[in-house]
Amino acid sequence: MKQRYVLRVNGRGMEAAAEAHESLLDVLRENLRLTGSKKGCNEAECGSCTVLLDGRPVVSCLVLVPDAADRDVVTIEALATDGVPHPIQRQMVEQGGVQCGYCTPGMIMSAYALLLDNPDPTDDEIRFAISGNICRCTGYGKIVKAVRAAAVEMKGQAGNGGAAS
Amino acid sequence: MSEDPSTETAEETRGAYSWIGKNVTKPDALEKALGATEYVGDMVVPGMLHGKILWADTPHAVIKRIDTEEAARVPGVHAVLTAADVPGSNRFGLAVLDQCALAEERVRSVGDAVALVAAEDEEAAEEAVAKIRVHKEHLRPILTYADALDPDAPKIHDGGNVFQHTTVRKGDLDKGIRESAAIVENAYHTHRMDHVPMEPEAGLAYVDPSGVLNILVGTQYPYRDRRQIAPALGLPMNKVRVIQAPIGGGFGRKDDITAEIHVGLLALKTRRPVRLVYTREESLVANTKRHPMAMNFRTGAGADGRLTFLDGDIYGDTGAGVSLGAYVIKKAGIHATGPYDVPNIRVDTYTLYTNNLTSGAMRGFGVMQAAVAHESQMDQLAHKLGMSPLEFRLKNCLKPGLASSTGQLMNEGCGIEATLRRIKDYMSARDLRFKRPEAAS
Ligand code: FES
Ligand code: FES
Repeated sequence: MKQRYVLRVNGRGMEAAAEAHESLLDVLRENLRLTGSKKGCNEAECGSCTVLLDGRPVVSCLVLVPDAADRDVVTIEALATDGVPHPIQRQMVEQGGVQCGYCTPGMIMSAYALLLDNPDPTDDEIRFAISGNICRCTGYGKIVKAVRAAAVEMKGQAGNGGAAS
Repeated sequence: MSEDPSTETAEETRGAYSWIGKNVTKPDALEKALGATEYVGDMVVPGMLHGKILWADTPHAVIKRIDTEEAARVPGVHAVLTAADVPGSNRFGLAVLDQCALAEERVRSVGDAVALVAAEDEEAAEEAVAKIRVHKEHLRPILTYADALDPDAPKIHDGGNVFQHTTVRKGDLDKGIRESAAIVENAYHTHRMDHVPMEPEAGLAYVDPSGVLNILVGTQYPYRDRRQIAPALGLPMNKVRVIQAPIGGGFGRKDDITAEIHVGLLALKTRRPVRLVYTREESLVANTKRHPMAMNFRTGAGADGRLTFLDGDIYGDTGAGVSLGAYVIKKAGIHATGPYDVPNIRVDTYTLYTNNLTSGAMRGFGVMQAAVAHESQMDQLAHKLGMSPLEFRLKNCLKPGLASSTGQLMNEGCGIEATLRRIKDYMSARDLRFKRPEAAS
């Protein structure tokens, strides 16, 4: 039986009618039409569905809707502000970290969670942070480079008193 | 680049007109990084139904009867289709039309589709698929190379289980053997491999007001798709439009038909838009893989360290359908010598039907499998001759003026020698040496 769930997605209250066994990923994609989070496996193997739940990265295919109710969900759609891409998004483009793009939103969300926590990560820390995200195209090197470049850029912005989003 | 344009080298001039070595931003990268790109599985159109496939759960069987009544009664179900509902030839395939869109009297692999459902939502479609009853009689499955080569084994297709035999012949094999100071002989096996594109296969189809069947699909080849879809569904070519959707990785497998014919048939029959998205499990079970190969190679070299001959057989398991297997396996034979100059050659390849999953194109297209064998042979020969594996390769690699196994003359595009020299410089600058792993006891 479907129930109504109140979710806080990207800072806005949203309602969705769903079965208790449905995943946060399905509700984001099908009910709320936020399709930036991808479904590569639906069983917590690939990371393409990564979102932030109360600030922590989770694979949303493994989160049941009731467990996401009344908590903060952040998806890829919220990263750009007023049409300006987030530094991680821009660096992914500039460093060639995007090929087919299917892993990209999940990859960026994992990197975003890392930089929230650790604004100056080592390459090993970046690699660890994205170790749950499979990319079949790039070979990861350029993604690591992009995250590093984004970290540097964000530190610069913070130092200048700019908004480090 | 040199500061002074007048001293620009030929290479630099060429470079100015080439994209190679330059950073180019992919035009669609930003949209993808924003999460805004819509792959087929992300698309929704008004009135859209959801398609589901019943796969064969057995590698080899005769289908006696399919009961669909119970499935058709599931609320929300609009169509339950079997081969009997296909208006066209029901056949597809890249080399030959040996695959059925929906299985007819025979199931030839667990990746064969048996029936299709379209329903209001995925749950109803899944429930209906579970209610389809397929009555079948199991046949002995042909799963190994030996089974496929056995002339008394059941035939998977009418023409027998050896689909194609190709040969490469050069020079005088006996002479090569006589001139050899060292010979190594080994059997190599490579495994079946899935491309695992991050986006599982998906299609969305609808019939537009002018009667054209439109199919959105993340494909590598829309026109060749259309050439297969139209006859399979009994439509003239100008009534099928394949629209290239963003593709979440292909690596060769989306060269073949994936969801196109199935989703197209559902849209034709229901007159509603239909979306069909594979689960990851379906993606692993269905559609083409990389060919497993068995390679028996005997390779020789003279006391001077020059290769003398290659004598080899390659068996490729193309599964229940040829797909591009005939070309992939033939290519493995052509590349069996690798980038080396071998004067005397006998190589035979066999493309074999089995009841395993159909194999087709995957990055490297047969060359990777052959490399496992020829590079291992090179290492072992070098060891036997007491030579460094790098020097042995330098001595034997193709150079401009030499010819490949099939007589193609090398020209400026032959880079193996320069590559090996770079490796040599790199290693000597760092005092690196090849180590041979301890022989397994
Ligand atoms: S879809 Fe959630 S981890 Fe793959
Ligand atoms: S860009 Fe294709 S999977 Fe990562």
